[in-house]
Amino acid sequence: MSESLVRRHGLESLLAGMPGSPSADPGVSVTIRGDLGHINVRGNAEGTGFVKSVEQVLGQALPIRPNTVSAGQHQVFWLGPDEWLVATPSGVAAELAGRLKHASTGIHASVNDISGGQIALMLQGPKCRDLLARGCTLDLHPGVFAVGDCAQSGLAKANVVLALVDDKPTFMVVVRRSFSDYLYRWLAHAGSDDGVTFRDA
Amino acid sequence: MQPQRLPAGGRIDRSKPISFRFDGRKLEGYAGDTLASALLANGVSIVGRSFKLRRPRGIVGSGAEEPNAIMQIGKGAHAQPNLRATQVELYNGLVARTTKGWPGARFDIGAINDLFGKVFSAGFYYKTFMRPKSWWRLYERIIRASAGFGRAPTEKDPDRYEHRNAHCDVLVAGGGPAGLAAALVAGQAGARVILADAQNEFGGSLLGTKHSIGDARADEWIARTVEQLAALDNVTLLPRSTVFGYYDHNFLAIAERCTDHLPEEERTGVRQRLWRVRAKQVVLAQGAFERPLAFCNNDRPGVMLASAVSRYIRRYAVRPGKRAVVFTNNDSAYETAIDLAEAGAAVVIVDSRMGGAGSVAERAANAGISMLTGHIVTDVVGRRRVRGVRVAGWSGNPSYLVESSIRIECDLLAMSGGWSPAVHLHSQAGGSNEWDTDRLCFVPGAATQANVSAGACNGMWSLRDCLREGMESGRAAASRCGFDAADVDLPTTRQGHDNPPQPLWRVPADAEPERCPKQFLDFQNDTSVADIRLAVREGYRNVEHVKRYTALGFGTDQGKLGNIIGMAVLAECLGKSIPEVGTTTFRPAFTPVSFGVGAGENVGDLYDPVRKTAIHEWHVAAGAPMENVGQWHRPWYFPRDGEDLHAAVARECLAARQSLGIMDASTLGKIDARGRDVVEFLERVYTHNVGKMKVGRCAYGIMLGEDGMVLDDGVMARLGEEHFYLTTTTGGAANVLAWLESWLQTEWPELEVFLTSLTDHFSTIAVVGPNSRKVLEKVGCSIDLGKDGFPFMTVKEAELGGYPVQLFRVSFSGELAFEINIDSGYALAMWETVMAAGEEYGITPYGTESMHVLRAEKGFVIVGQDTDGSVTPVDLGMNWLLSKDKDYLGKRSLARPDCVRSDRKQLVGLLSSDNSTVLPEGTQLVEVPDAPVPVPMCGHVTSSYMSACLGHPIALALVAGGRVRKGETVYAAMPGREPLPVTIAAPVFYDPKGERQHV
Amino acid sequence: MLLIECPWCGERAETEFSYGGEAGIARPADPDALGDAEWADYLFNRSNPRGAHRELWNHAQGCRRWFGVERDTVTYRISGSFRLSGGVGKRED
Repeated sequence: MSESLVRRHGLESLLAGMPGSPSADPGVSVTIRGDLGHINVRGNAEGTGFVKSVEQVLGQALPIRPNTVSAGQHQVFWLGPDEWLVATPSGVAAELAGRLKHASTGIHASVNDISGGQIALMLQGPKCRDLLARGCTLDLHPGVFAVGDCAQSGLAKANVVLALVDDKPTFMVVVRRSFSDYLYRWLAHAGSDDGVTFRDA
Repeated sequence: MQPQRLPAGGRIDRSKPISFRFDGRKLEGYAGDTLASALLANGVSIVGRSFKLRRPRGIVGSGAEEPNAIMQIGKGAHAQPNLRATQVELYNGLVARTTKGWPGARFDIGAINDLFGKVFSAGFYYKTFMRPKSWWRLYERIIRASAGFGRAPTEKDPDRYEHRNAHCDVLVAGGGPAGLAAALVAGQAGARVILADAQNEFGGSLLGTKHSIGDARADEWIARTVEQLAALDNVTLLPRSTVFGYYDHNFLAIAERCTDHLPEEERTGVRQRLWRVRAKQVVLAQGAFERPLAFCNNDRPGVMLASAVSRYIRRYAVRPGKRAVVFTNNDSAYETAIDLAEAGAAVVIVDSRMGGAGSVAERAANAGISMLTGHIVTDVVGRRRVRGVRVAGWSGNPSYLVESSIRIECDLLAMSGGWSPAVHLHSQAGGSNEWDTDRLCFVPGAATQANVSAGACNGMWSLRDCLREGMESGRAAASRCGFDAADVDLPTTRQGHDNPPQPLWRVPADAEPERCPKQFLDFQNDTSVADIRLAVREGYRNVEHVKRYTALGFGTDQGKLGNIIGMAVLAECLGKSIPEVGTTTFRPAFTPVSFGVGAGENVGDLYDPVRKTAIHEWHVAAGAPMENVGQWHRPWYFPRDGEDLHAAVARECLAARQSLGIMDASTLGKIDARGRDVVEFLERVYTHNVGKMKVGRCAYGIMLGEDGMVLDDGVMARLGEEHFYLTTTTGGAANVLAWLESWLQTEWPELEVFLTSLTDHFSTIAVVGPNSRKVLEKVGCSIDLGKDGFPFMTVKEAELGGYPVQLFRVSFSGELAFEINIDSGYALAMWETVMAAGEEYGITPYGTESMHVLRAEKGFVIVGQDTDGSVTPVDLGMNWLLSKDKDYLGKRSLARPDCVRSDRKQLVGLLSSDNSTVLPEGTQLVEVPDAPVPVPMCGHVTSSYMSACLGHPIALALVAGGRVRKGETVYAAMPGREPLPVTIAAPVFYDPKGERQHV
Repeated sequence: MLLIECPWCGERAETEFSYGGEAGIARPADPDALGDAEWADYLFNRSNPRGAHRELWNHAQGCRRWFGVERDTVTYRISGSFRLSGGVGKRED
C-alpha cells in the first residue's frame, strides 16, 4: 500500500527552478530531507513506565534533558517536558509509529505520525551560523549551542526545530510543511551573498 | 582647487582625488574626507537654509550633532534623505543636494521669512493656521511643501538590507580612546566583544590629534590597538555602525552602513545591516557633544563648534578660516586656538572667565595667540558669512545687557559652551542623569541595566581619565561575565591643569533678547532664546511642554546640540536650577535610521510568511487568484476563459449543488486529542454534550471564551473511547491550541489529555454535491459509502484509491459531501485522482468565495466574519448547542445581565427589497432612514452574496432583537445612494430542513 | 525586547513567547454559585500593580509550556520564572 506510493515534500518545483550550476564551494548547502518521516510522541517522563516502553521500541534513549537530541537508529528531539520528535526514514515511520502506539497502550501517552506535516532541511557549510543568525535569535556560538543540542525557536518568521548535528557544522532545521516554501525562499534570499545552494536528498 | 585645504597633514589621501557634485556644482575632495570636510575645503560656506526663517546656514559640527548640513545623497532609487554631511564619507560620483531652500540654498526665496522673524515666533503655526478651519488643507499643503529635510525616493528600493542577531558578553558602544581601551581589555580577557563605532575608522576624538599615549603618537596607538583587537577571534569590530537604540534587558540595535561609502557602481551585497544584539554587559563610550553659546546671530555661516574646527584641521587638513575668533567659557577651546594658529590662522581668544584658562593658556600665549579674558561675543557681523564679531567686557553679571562693544574682524568664529556627555543610550536604557555643578553637565547616574559609561560620556574630559575608565570598565564587564582580565598599566599621557568652566548659556547682548538679533538654541528648528521666554510668558512651565511648543530638540536633531543650553535658558526664565527643570526624554533612534534597514529581509514576498497547502501549485496552475486567509494563500475562485469573479462563483456554486464540486479545505486547524480524561476535558471546553457522542460520530461544536462570546467552532469526531479529532477555524488554529493547553497546564493539570496539532500533516479535500458518493466509489473506496453504511456526521478510516485516509461524512454546503483527510505528502495525488474520476460529472473545483456563498445559503456562520468577539451563541440562535447538564467555559457569562438583554444584536437573514442589490458587507442598518443625524443604527451586514441557485442576493446580519422581527423592514445605509429597504428573514435560505445532506 | 527565562528552555527572546495576563486568577469552582458582580470580578478585574507583577507567559515558539514570571511593571526587570504544576488553578505552586 503506502510503501509503493510516491510522497511529495512540496518543494520539488522550487528545486527545479534553481539555477543550473550551483557554485562548487557554497557557503551553505541545503539538503531537503523529504525522505525523513516524523513521529510526535507525548508522555510523562516521570513514573508510569512510559519512558521505558518507548525506549524499548526505539532501541535508544529518550532525551530527558531539555533541548537535547538522542542520536542512534533514529534521531529523537526533546520538544517539551512531555513531548518528543522522532525522525526516521519515511519508509518505516508508519510502522514505527504503530509499534510505539502499541507499546504505550494503557499508559498516558500519545503517538502521532506527522510525516506529512513537517520537512527537515540539512544546512551545511562554513556560513551556516551567519545565515541562521539573520533570522534566529538563539545564540548559536559553538560554545553555547553544541553538537547534540536542539531548540525550538523562530527562523525568520517560521517556527522551527533546530539542531546541531555535527561540527562541520551541519544544522538540521525542521519546519512545518505549510511554512516550508516561505522558509526556502527566505534561505535563498538571505543566503544569496553566501552562495546558498539547494538539493534534494 | 581646494582653497581651504592645508598643504600637509590630516588623515586624507592626497593621491586619491575624488570628484563629487553639490547642488549641481562639480567639486573635488580626497579619499578620507567627509562630505562636510570636502565642502569646507572648497570654501563652501552655505549648506542649507534654516527650517522656519530660511536663514543661510553653514556647517557647525563634525559629527552626529550637525544641525544644518542635512543632505539628500545619491540619485534616483538609491537616494537617501536626511543624512548629515559630517557623517557622509566622500566617494567618487557622490551627488549631494541641499534639502532646504528653493530654488537652492544659496538663493532662497523663502528667506523673506527672516524679515518677518518677529512673526515666526514660538507657537506660530498653532496660532496662525487654525482659522478658518476649512483652510487647513490648503495651509497644510503649503507648509509641507516648504518644510522638510528631504524627499523619499519614489522608486522601489533596489538595495538589499539585512538583519542579524548577535550575542556577546560585552558590547562597547563607541570606539574612541575609552571604547578601544575597554574592548581591548575585555577581549584579551577572553570575553566575546562587539565594538561598534559610527565612523569609518576607530579612534573617535583621538584621530589626527597631537596626543601621545605612552611611547606612541595618538594615531599609532589607535592603529596598534585596532590591530590587536582584529587579531582576537572573540572580538567583532563594527566600523560605520551606530548603536542607535538601547532597549529592555540589554538588547541593543546597531545600524551598520556596509556599502554607502562606495561609488554606486562598486556596491554589491548588503547595503545596510541591522544588528540586534543581546549583550550581557554594555560599556557606553560614545563621547560628548560640545555645546554652542547663545549670542546674537550665532547661526551665521562661519560660526562653528571649536571641537569641529580642530577636527577639520587635524583630521582632514582643512582650515575653515584665516582670521579666527575663539569664544569659550572653558579650557578645551584653547586647543582649537592653538590648532588654528599652527595652521597659520590669526587667532583671538575671547574667554568669558575673568581668570582665563589653566595651563593651556601658556601654550596659547607661546603660539602667539592674543587672549581677551572677561569678555564675551555679543553679536556676529555678516549675513552670508561671518565678517566680524562684536566683543564686550563682561563681569559675569547675569543681566541681559552689556554696554559698549568693539568689533573684531574675522571670517571664522569657533565657539565652545562646554561639553555634554552623550547620555542618550544610558538614558534610553532607563538610567537617570545627574547635574554636575562643577563640570556643568548632566552625567550618567545609576544605571538600571547592565551597563556602565566610560570616558567623555561619563563626564571625563582628559585623555588619561578616558583611558583609565575604559580599561576599568572593560575589565569589570569581562569579570562580571566570568573572565578575569589581567591588570593593565595605564599609559602615560600629558596631563595639564584646567580651570573650571563658567556657567554661560544665553550671552548678554546690547538689548533684551526680544529686541536684539536672534540668539539661537536649536539651529535645526530655529528655536531662539526669545522663543523660550515667550513660551514661559504664555504659561508653559514643564520642559516637555516647552519642547513641544517651541520645537526645541525636535526632529532628526533630537537636541544633540541645543537641548542642554535650551533647558538652561528655560531654567533661568523660570528662576529654577537646571536639574529642577530636567531633561526631555531620550528616545531611540540616536541618529536617523533608514526604513530599508528597519525592514531588512522582510520585504516583498518575504514580508510575511505565505503558508501554502500541499495542493497549492495545482490551484496556481489552474489560474486561481489567491485570497489571504490569515497567513494562508487559498484559491479564491477558478475562472474559466474570460470569467469574472461573479460568473465563476455562480458556475461553481451551481456545480456543487447540482452535480460535483471539490475544494481544498486543508487550512482547517486540526488537533488530535487523547487521554483517559479527554471526554471530561472536552465537556469543559465545548458547549454540547461531548460524552453522548458515540465512537465514529461527528458533531459540530463551539467554544466560548469565559466572557461567553463565541471563540471558535468546528467539527469534532470521536475516533475512540479516549480519542478525539478536533477541527478549528483556519485563523484560530494556533490560538485555540494554545488556549486549550493553557487550561490543561494551568487549571486542570490533573486531567490526562494530550493535544497534538495535525494541521499540516493532514490535507483536507472536500468532495461536494449529489455525485460525490459516486465519484469516491469510482476512485475505489475500501468501505461502504452508502447512506446506511456511512451515514451523515460519521467518520471512518478507509483506503481510497490505494491511499489510507480518514473519511468524514460532513458538509459545509448542505449537500451530500465527504471530507478526505490524507497525509499531505499524498494530497496532490489524491486531488488529481478525484479530479480525473470526476470528469464525467463535470467536477468543478471551487475556492473560498463559493464556499462562503454555499454556507451562507445554509445560514452557517463563519466565526470572525459573522461574529466579532461580542457575539454569544444565543445571539447566533445556537441554543440547541448549549448543554444544560454541565458547566463549560463561558456558561456562567451567558446569564450575565448584558447577555440576556432582548435588544442584543442577533443573527438574521436579509433580503434586498429590489431583489438585485448585493449589500456591501459591513453595511449599517437603520430603522428610520431620514432620522436626524446621528441616525441610530440597529445592526450591520456580516455576510452578503449573490446566490446563483436562488437567483437573488442573500445576506446575513446582526440586528438588534432581530430574531423576533422576521418580515419587518429595516434600511441599509449605503454611501452615495438612497437607503435601501431590506426585509428581515430567517438566516437559512436554502433547504431549511437539511434534507439534501442526509441522502 | 525582554529576555524571558523559560523554566525548561532557559533564557529566550521575548518573540518566542506570548503573554497570558495576570497569574493567580483561579477559575471559581462553582461559577453558578457566584453573583453577577463576583463573576464579573473574576472575568474583568485585575490588580494592575505598579511594581512587582506575577503573570503568565507561554513559550509559544518553544516547548509550548505555560509558566509564571515575576516582572516589575515599571522597570520591566524580571526577578524570576516559576512553573505552574500545583493543580490549583492559574496560580503558581
